[in-house]
Amino acid sequence: MMLPRWLRRDDREVNLDRELSFHIEEKVAELVRSGVSEEDARRRVRLEFGAAEQVKEECRDVRPAYWAETFLRDIRYAWRNLRRNPGFAAVAIATLALGIGGLTAMFSAFDTILIRPLPYADPNRLVMIWDDLSKSDDRTKSDPAPAEWLEWRRLNTVFTDIASTQPTEATLSGDAAPEQVPARKATGNLWSVLGVKPLIGRVFSEEEDRNGARVAVISYGLWQRRYGGSPDVLGRKIDVNDTPYEVIGVMPHEFYFLPARDIDLWMPASFPAWMRTAFGWHDEQVVARLKTGVTREQAEQSMVALSLQLTAKAFPRPHQTIVTSLREDIAGKTQTALVVLLAASAALLLIACVNLANLLMSRGLARSRELAVRVALGAGRGRLAAQFLTESLVLAGLGALAGLALAMPAMRFLSRLVPETMGPVRLTLDWRVLAFSAASAIAAALAFGLAPALRGSWTGLQHGLREGGRGAAGARSYWFQHSLIVIETALAVMLLTSGGLLLETFRHLQNTDLGVRREKLLTFEIPLFRYKEFHRRDAFLTAVLEKIRAIPGVINAGATSQLPLKPNDLSATFYWIAGQPHESERNQVALIRLVTRDYFPTIGARLREGRFFEESDRHSDAQVAIVNETFANRNFAGRSAIGAQFKFGDTGDKGYWYRIVGVVKKIHEVGMEEAARPAVYLLHGQGNKQLMIPPGGIAVRTAVEPASIVSAIRQAIWSIDKNQPMWRVQTLKDIFAHQLTTPTESTALMGAFALLALLLASIGLYGVLSYAVTQRTSEIGVRMALGATSREILLTFSKRGLVLTVAGLAIGLGLSIVTSRFLSALLYGFRPDLIPTITVVSLILLSVALLACLGPARRASRVDPVIALRSE
Amino acid sequence: MTSPKCDLPQGTLDLLILKTVALGPVHGYAIAQRLQQISRDVVQVPGGSLYPALHRLENRKLLVAEWGQTETGRDAKFYRLTRRGRAHLEAGSASWQRLSETVGLILGMAEGGPR
Repeated sequence: MMLPRWLRRDDREVNLDRELSFHIEEKVAELVRSGVSEEDARRRVRLEFGAAEQVKEECRDVRPAYWAETFLRDIRYAWRNLRRNPGFAAVAIATLALGIGGLTAMFSAFDTILIRPLPYADPNRLVMIWDDLSKSDDRTKSDPAPAEWLEWRRLNTVFTDIASTQPTEATLSGDAAPEQVPARKATGNLWSVLGVKPLIGRVFSEEEDRNGARVAVISYGLWQRRYGGSPDVLGRKIDVNDTPYEVIGVMPHEFYFLPARDIDLWMPASFPAWMRTAFGWHDEQVVARLKTGVTREQAEQSMVALSLQLTAKAFPRPHQTIVTSLREDIAGKTQTALVVLLAASAALLLIACVNLANLLMSRGLARSRELAVRVALGAGRGRLAAQFLTESLVLAGLGALAGLALAMPAMRFLSRLVPETMGPVRLTLDWRVLAFSAASAIAAALAFGLAPALRGSWTGLQHGLREGGRGAAGARSYWFQHSLIVIETALAVMLLTSGGLLLETFRHLQNTDLGVRREKLLTFEIPLFRYKEFHRRDAFLTAVLEKIRAIPGVINAGATSQLPLKPNDLSATFYWIAGQPHESERNQVALIRLVTRDYFPTIGARLREGRFFEESDRHSDAQVAIVNETFANRNFAGRSAIGAQFKFGDTGDKGYWYRIVGVVKKIHEVGMEEAARPAVYLLHGQGNKQLMIPPGGIAVRTAVEPASIVSAIRQAIWSIDKNQPMWRVQTLKDIFAHQLTTPTESTALMGAFALLALLLASIGLYGVLSYAVTQRTSEIGVRMALGATSREILLTFSKRGLVLTVAGLAIGLGLSIVTSRFLSALLYGFRPDLIPTITVVSLILLSVALLACLGPARRASRVDPVIALRSE
Repeated sequence: MTSPKCDLPQGTLDLLILKTVALGPVHGYAIAQRLQQISRDVVQVPGGSLYPALHRLENRKLLVAEWGQTETGRDAKFYRLTRRGRAHLEAGSASWQRLSETVGLILGMAEGGPR
């Protein structure tokens, strides 16, 4: 490959040569004319003139911007050098490409998810407000109530405004095939709090919200999908749950908001009067905009005080609030994962740098002859160091280019880390990422190039033209190189341990007892708004479940108001145990599920005591309930919960007393990252027949592959009601795998980083030992001549490698204990035992190190003393 | 080489070069020779300091250089004074003149002692 013209020797250099040689020739000619022999004359001129190279260098030094010229020349020189050592160049560039590529890709994910502004006006001032209904110190975010939103909005002093959204269901029908779409109700000020504008049309106002206007704002996706992107969708009446709503606006493509990126329909919340005063109805998500100059912490303090005051006065259960930044709620667990992975990729680059520093150091010693020549020709120490650094920069630059080539496919993988709640973003190689990559390349060049550059220039001056590389510099450089090996081993151990901990957590999560048999369990949802009246709903559900059970391959089917593994389900209801003082109701909340009789057998729930629901319960007036272990343990520690009675808060004297007939082993109702909560299961159709959300979540246990009977189920439902959509069709296994996306990805990435680190560290060890064997061949020869056996030589060298490894291992384990604390957020509350991980990591490292040592050590033991001594 | 040699004070070499070049286009070797001849061997400029000085003056645009032929027909780089160079030379000579007179005066005074 030819270098570009601007990197080649220019005319000025040629002219400088000509001018100086003219001078020398004239001087020689003059001396010869005066009678001196030509040979003598030349010698005298050389003595008088000084070293020609040095004069040239001084002439160049006075040129303006000569440093740039030098730099280009050094690049040229470095390039030639690399081309002369393709093996070295390939190893160095590959090492750097891994390091820089990994870091660049991780940065692009980090930047996209955590740094770039969210698509709202002044997004850093947006916060979410949550209720903290937990009794103890562990703060648990719960959804606030509409009444709280109203009061907070009226009384707070820290926000410019507060908006709230609440869940809803939406079936679109009439204009096309019935379709269930993700929808959300919102207070009229949501748009101004977020500071967003529709793409076309308008958003609904607070007045429309108050008046219960039937208007809707739709997403860009729904607009394109269902309405062909036509602007005349504005003003069109669409049927939402059989009620006509007017489309008044379409949000831009990039708009999204909690709790999910795919919400297609926004409608006014229009709280009914009873909800405006109900403090027990917790299903809101509240977003607020901080006043200028107010920090999140100040806002939280102020809101905690306000909430305690509000709840203490009007209701018998004062609770606190939690104020989180919107970014934190959107990024969720991903935030920690990204920080940890970015740190891990930085550690990997550091290992790569240490490795290269070592490699360059060895090469620097091997190049001492070349350096000595350059010193003799007038190169100063600074020049030599600059030359070395330029070589490092060239390597880093090439490594960064190769790294970018690696980063691009990696970024496609990393885009899976973008949280569900964030959307639609893509990881791209833009100028920010490129700038970061360039900066990390330069930092890397300095990191791995500086020590060898200084040492190299020093060696160059010391050695002069002395033969061989066996001087005092040897011992010192070993010491330095050895510490580098220890450092990189320690870093590799740290990454390996972190990877091991994540892997163990991942396996733990995978084996989590969901309280449900995961295999061959199909779940889906059917909206039941057409069946508001209990008897019709009950008849419909019974018929649907009957039909489904009749499908060949179906073992059982049941319904629930909420399927398991529901992340962000923060809805909770207060309860009160009979026989306990009424105040105990304070801060006692439980999840409520309304289930059909067959639900528990269908999902494979297990009883701890008591019984499941029975058909007779449906016709009995005695209200029965099943609670989970968490509920039982909290309220009936050490005794049986069976027979105990409780009632729900806010129902006063009117409410039913529920008698506990069974305790089920914990069913994982909430997301994998959330701790289990007390839960209460009621039988659909007993007690308050209008109670809460209808059981639209269907679980089907199959004997065959669940996917194969989906259409049969759809036909079964349509045979009863042909306008009935069914959606969110997923197997429980899929839901589970989906929930484990972040741990899966972070474990895979951390594992990859750790393995690369191990590889690099062992290459480093191998390199240093090989080099030491080469350098000390003659010493080995002497020792063998004096009677050392090859076995002893083998031991000497293996021992040296192992001592380094053990030192690195010890430091690395120390580091791991520190870093594992930072990891704890990624461990999902699981506290893995460090010991097995450490043991495995140590074994792996020692065996890899042994392999890396063995090659060079065997080579040392096979040195032929005769040849070795002759080579002296 | 028995004649006494002097170390040139800082900056004087530039002035001497400018003066030498002021007499007409001349190449580096000739400058060295002339300085040596005129100063009767007191000033000996080794090539090692002459050429960096010439290049520095060229870069400061006090001199311009052109390739030309010597009387013997060899290619050489000829230096010529620019307008800026001439101005610099005049200012430099004047201040050198003043300085050397003053230095001489003071040294002379010291010898005679105070009157």
